[in-house]
Amino acid sequence: MKRVREEEIFPRNPNKTYGLMELVKGSSTRVDRGPDDMVSSWPHLLIREAALFAGCFAAMLALAVFFPPPLEAPANPLRPPNPAKAPWYFLGLQELVAYDAFWGGLGIPGLVVVALMAIPYVDRHHSGIGRWFAKSRRTATTLWTMYVVVVIVLIIIGVYFRGPNWAWFWPGEMPKEVQ
Amino acid sequence: MSVKLVKPEGGSVPPSGGRRPGQPGMLARINRAIYRQAPEVWDNLRPATLGHNIYKSIYRTTAFPKTERERSEAFFNSFLLHIQPAKIEKHALRFTYTFGLGLLSMYLFLLLTISGLMLMFVYVPSTEQAYSRMLDLRSAVSFGGILRGMHFWSANAMIAVVFFHMCRVFYTGAYKPPREFNWVVGVILMVLTLVLGFTGYLLPWDQLAFWAITVGAGIAGKANWVSDHINALAPPNAPKMPAIGDLMRWGLLGSDVVGQEALIRFYVLHVAVLPVILTGFIVYHMWRIRKDGGISSPKESPE
Repeated sequence: MKRVREEEIFPRNPNKTYGLMELVKGSSTRVDRGPDDMVSSWPHLLIREAALFAGCFAAMLALAVFFPPPLEAPANPLRPPNPAKAPWYFLGLQELVAYDAFWGGLGIPGLVVVALMAIPYVDRHHSGIGRWFAKSRRTATTLWTMYVVVVIVLIIIGVYFRGPNWAWFWPGEMPKEVQ
Repeated sequence: MSVKLVKPEGGSVPPSGGRRPGQPGMLARINRAIYRQAPEVWDNLRPATLGHNIYKSIYRTTAFPKTERERSEAFFNSFLLHIQPAKIEKHALRFTYTFGLGLLSMYLFLLLTISGLMLMFVYVPSTEQAYSRMLDLRSAVSFGGILRGMHFWSANAMIAVVFFHMCRVFYTGAYKPPREFNWVVGVILMVLTLVLGFTGYLLPWDQLAFWAITVGAGIAGKANWVSDHINALAPPNAPKMPAIGDLMRWGLLGSDVVGQEALIRFYVLHVAVLPVILTGFIVYHMWRIRKDGGISSPKESPE
């Protein structure tokens, strides 16, 4: 009698190499230990995102309170400061302009942007994805680090080592105010 | 409370406001009628029920989900959260993998939008007034200095964070197929961020701003090199190519020098044109993350 009922609910299929053995109580095998190592975004992702926003907001507020933004004298087209400097993120460009006007200011930066966009179409090898500084990508990592160092060094030179007439000054020797 | 009564046919309204002694009032009759027809109406107005129903009409899921299904629904059914996956790989959550740099860039953009909109209530893009409005922010406007400070620091931080985010993506090989195009979008986002920073730099109209933009616009003028060289190569009687750098500089400044025309151009670009374009690219960048299979994972690589 019991056997017959089981057959009705779970009809036998000759193509199947497995059959129903037993019904047990319990959670599904996927819960919390799925083969793809997934967790719920709620709360695991959400709490991290909220914490990041809180940290970001607090940091910006603290900077705003303790380090007020600069405000110099009103703009005066007749009194150029010496040197007149671009915003810090363009001082690398300004440094390059000092060597060659066109190539420093437009040629090289334009080529850099094009080169950056071209990277994923040049380097398509499927290795080292998802790992920091993967060993198999040593060349790529080295090239990129060189690029980053050049960008940062140029900006640091522009900010701290260039004085009147874009001449080189060591930080201690920088004249206070030149008009 | 006044209840207007319809005058009964063939009789006058009694002085007691329509109520004859011994008869229930109008409100009581309405109440009874409603209760007879739909007894749950008054129950629906109980504060706890009403509150619950309003919440449920906005959020279809519980505020504190407990089961796996409810947790998935919390992301799936939320307008703000649905762009993110309901389940996420543990690797993607490791702070030291991303350092949260991408999201941080978006948060900084959000702070910049909010603080920028508030600054717009004070700022006037005029060479006569801009600087004095800066002084007002510092002295006359409540929390004006902090507001400008947050805008200033968030802008500088955003430029740095976007660059660091690009470094993270490079070092972890996250630009490789299928994410090539999202890297390209990221480069566009970085350039837009720089241009937004540059256009915002002029607005305080102080010496720093004025001369920085003079230098920056001067760099655009260097493109004359291209037209000069083309003209030098062209035959002597061929039509001359216009000085391309001067055109670019003029387009940016609206004049030969940095003045009122430049200020209004930079202002409109900074508060309207560029933020809208940037928002569009950010939305696409994020949609694209999902379509490319979430953030990169070591599982994708044979190593």
